[in-house]
Amino acid sequence: MKLTEDKIREFSIQAISELGPNASPDAVKKLVEEKIRSSNDFPEGEMNLSSGRVILTSFGLNTTGIVSSISAALSEAQCDILDISQKIMQEFFTMIMMIDITNSPKDIKDLQEIMKSIAERLKVKIYLQHEDVFRFMHRI
Amino acid sequence: MPYEFDEILETIKMTEIEHFDIRTVTMGISLRDCADRNISITTQKIYEKILRYAGNHVKNAQEIERRYGISIANKRVSVTPISIIGDAFGQDEFLKIAETLDKVATEIGIDYIAGYSALVQKGFTKGELELIKSIPNALSLTQKVCSSVNVASTKAGINMDAVNLMSNIIKETAEKTKERDSIGCAKLVVFCNAVEDNPFVAGAFHGISEPEVTLNVGISGPGVVLEAIRTAGGIDFQSLSELIKKTMFKITRAGELIGRKVAEKNNIPFGIVDISLAPTPAEGDSIADILIAMGIEDVGAPGTTAALAMLNDAVKKAGLMASSSVGGMSGAFIPVSEDAGMIRAVEKGHLSLEKLEAMTAVCSVGLDMVAVPGTTSAETLAGIMADEFAIGMINDKTTAVRIIPAVGKKVGDYVDYGGLLGRAPIMPVRELSSKAFVLRGGKIPAPIRSLTN
Repeated sequence: MKLTEDKIREFSIQAISELGPNASPDAVKKLVEEKIRSSNDFPEGEMNLSSGRVILTSFGLNTTGIVSSISAALSEAQCDILDISQKIMQEFFTMIMMIDITNSPKDIKDLQEIMKSIAERLKVKIYLQHEDVFRFMHRI
Repeated sequence: MPYEFDEILETIKMTEIEHFDIRTVTMGISLRDCADRNISITTQKIYEKILRYAGNHVKNAQEIERRYGISIANKRVSVTPISIIGDAFGQDEFLKIAETLDKVATEIGIDYIAGYSALVQKGFTKGELELIKSIPNALSLTQKVCSSVNVASTKAGINMDAVNLMSNIIKETAEKTKERDSIGCAKLVVFCNAVEDNPFVAGAFHGISEPEVTLNVGISGPGVVLEAIRTAGGIDFQSLSELIKKTMFKITRAGELIGRKVAEKNNIPFGIVDISLAPTPAEGDSIADILIAMGIEDVGAPGTTAALAMLNDAVKKAGLMASSSVGGMSGAFIPVSEDAGMIRAVEKGHLSLEKLEAMTAVCSVGLDMVAVPGTTSAETLAGIMADEFAIGMINDKTTAVRIIPAVGKKVGDYVDYGGLLGRAPIMPVRELSSKAFVLRGGKIPAPIRSLTN
């Protein structure tokens, strides 16, 4: 994304002249934001890269209700579970979920907070990381 | 699932157990348009410009940290060498600039601001001389300002007048900050072949060929490499090199992702990823431990330089494959105070200054964070620097000296700064004099680039 100060200034001037006497600060701000969104400065690939897919990893000593607690919280936050893989290795519980948070009203930070409280209650570790980090590290 | 179970666990293991983090995201900002003949206008422009570009740098970096689950140890800003901005100024005005930099750095919450610098490998302008003379005061009056002076290059040779001047400046800085273990010297680097896009302090500055603003990232991750080598056991050299490359590839990729995302968040272009392997004082995050895992008994043993050369080369090869924006120092760092294994080797008497110097011939970045007795003379410091810069000049590589002649300390004592700067045992220095050599004055001419034996 290339959005220079000059570009923003250009949008602002356009917005002010378009709005004419109706150019209140809020109206200008709204119009400038629209112009930024609709400008073609967002390269396709870059947008794809920042998909809303998040990887949730959880492990710890196995107890009952880990999967149900986590998935209930995700469903409440309107997150879509795309894939789930879970194993018990000896005493250890491990689970990896791929989640789509595009339609969730919550962002990754909020979800991390929610998961933190679940993790504390169930005495397991829960990590939430954006998918890109795995793609960058493990795919050429 | 598009990723294997093992791949995901490997990443989690790196970030949670093996200390993999991003050492720094450094925003480089050109201050060339801030020059004015009036000092208050200059400082006002500098203040406003840094605030404008880097005001949200820390906040944005923290958001990226959370999103990817990879921590960023330091958030920094580098600026155009201040001697260029204020060439018409005297020492008092330069000090005002230093204070402005410190003030804005504190306000925006970054860890360091670097670029209180001058490039004098071929000689001084009046302003550069004034800036250099102001360094001891600047570093004692500020907390976050870092300074560097380039005194030599392969193209220009070694400016021995600058080396002698800097050895006195280092002594003076040590004296002025003696209450805090001469910490001023930990924020002052003298360079040969300084690079313009280095994100690491204290030597960072935003070079004159750099754009208006850019975001450079410095990676870390010795712990990850160490764990991979330990797990692999007694494999042969080619396999070892392959293993280091695979590990570094992943680390570099993650570093580039973080750098690009922080740049995007700040709405500025991404610059480079510096593929240096930078240690921290934390146990297990050490270059020295990697060399030991490769098979030497301790750093300083015969074979140390070869092991380091191989490590450094593998790091670079992997980094270059992983990213098309490699720059900065890009090599393994061996700072003494910032590496638990290096500290141990010095304490045991295994690692001498001379062996350390030999090691710097094959890696980044020079005699870094080395503490020596406070009684070490300026001429001896100049001799140590001249040796280090000769290595850089002849081998066409960056070398640097960040040496702390700790006032009131002798061999067996420590300087202790805490945090990333760590603690350093005072290393013995040879008592032989180099005075008559270094005080000849003038320049050591630039070297021949053929017949390179």
